[in-house]
Amino acid sequence: MTRHLTAALVLGACLAGPAAAGQPPAGMALVPEGDYAPLFRAKDDPATVRVPAFYIDVRQVTNADFLGFVRANPNWRRSQVSPLFAESGYLGDWSGDLELGPRAPSDSPVVLVSWFAARAYARWRGLRLPSTAEWERAASAGFTSANGAADPAYREAILAWLSVPTPPVLPAAGSGRPDVYGVRDLTDLVWEWVDDFNAMMPGGDSADNSGLDRDLVCGAGGANARDFTDYPAFMRVAFRSSLGAAYVVPNLGFRCAKSL
Amino acid sequence: MKKTLATFLLGTVLAGTAGRAGEAVKPCCADDVKGVTQAAQLSSRSIYQADSTWTDDAGRPVKLASLKGRPVVLAMFFTNCEFACPIIVGNMMRIQEALPPESRANARFVLVSFDSERDTPAALRIYRERMRLGTAWVLLHGQPDDVRELAMVLGVKYARDSRGQFAHSNLITVLNSAGEIAYRLAGLESDISAAEQAVIAAAR
Repeated sequence: MTRHLTAALVLGACLAGPAAAGQPPAGMALVPEGDYAPLFRAKDDPATVRVPAFYIDVRQVTNADFLGFVRANPNWRRSQVSPLFAESGYLGDWSGDLELGPRAPSDSPVVLVSWFAARAYARWRGLRLPSTAEWERAASAGFTSANGAADPAYREAILAWLSVPTPPVLPAAGSGRPDVYGVRDLTDLVWEWVDDFNAMMPGGDSADNSGLDRDLVCGAGGANARDFTDYPAFMRVAFRSSLGAAYVVPNLGFRCAKSL
Repeated sequence: MKKTLATFLLGTVLAGTAGRAGEAVKPCCADDVKGVTQAAQLSSRSIYQADSTWTDDAGRPVKLASLKGRPVVLAMFFTNCEFACPIIVGNMMRIQEALPPESRANARFVLVSFDSERDTPAALRIYRERMRLGTAWVLLHGQPDDVRELAMVLGVKYARDSRGQFAHSNLITVLNSAGEIAYRLAGLESDISAAEQAVIAAAR
């Protein structure tokens, strides 16, 4: 009995130690340090990039969350936002400046927000947007394994989402199955902004030595794809490289991240 | 399927704009209110709404909005660039030389570095001397977050590789006196006449 108790205490102390030092903030999960294998990289770059541990929101930012932000920051309201920072259509599924309405349920992910708006929200909360490397690292985990590629159910969920149209009214954020880190809906509810989405080069795969790309983009010839079978990863690259920072898209939302 | 379609449509839109080197952007909607002092007033399209503080190559803090009232020729670059940046800076020099004296006196030529780590104000100073850049040139160092925001405002894509080199869009932007994008010279175009005309128009 005593021995068991001691063992339990020692174990408990071991667990409590690191956890206390790095307890995730409310609503966030810890993604431990690990490797990210970019789909495209310069020809001399290593195959994987080390990503330090970070916290990420368990679910996307919701309409209700974002309403709190625009209440506190009038310059981010629909009628007042600068066209430099959000194109027309910004929060276009809301009923008004401060009314969500039937097309934007309070617990659904906020969409039709620009990168500038998403970033301003994150800063307002003392957070930031995840980098591409962080986001992809989080999304590489499956439901039952840190290696999502080896988790058929996880891969199927991603492909299933990619093959169906976006519903006119989005379901609640955070209702999906959590992955091994406790993060939900990363790949099967909406697309998500990343802080450095503009690191995706237009026509990044210039294996054909296209003159246009070489002229428009310095270093464009250096990229090669890691895995031509990773369809969802190609879709994300295509999607990100098609975006501008003021764009708003009906199935593009975001979640926040935080350094340890 | 709709998602796929949306992606490709978006892709087409982007390819369209990126492909048109030297597209003229209509100066838009200067919503200055008459009688209000101009100092604090920024038009809704002014990139000077991005309110970061930069450091020039003399170590002085600089707000982009301090360039208000002048035509500005601006590019993002880095001093260790081996290929495109010398061409971009060369094109900016040619624009400067081609301008009539009064526009030339008024215009500013701004280079903002992607490389927050290596392009310190001191490194930019060395670059200024090496390239013999005159007093109309402003060389800026910024924090990575501010560099990213400016790139987003201008529509510049960039990525750092493992050697610390940057792959980046090749873009020269002409700003009018309100800080609105008046003209974009994309690619390594050698014809600078339209950019020159945009600076002259912006100086009026």
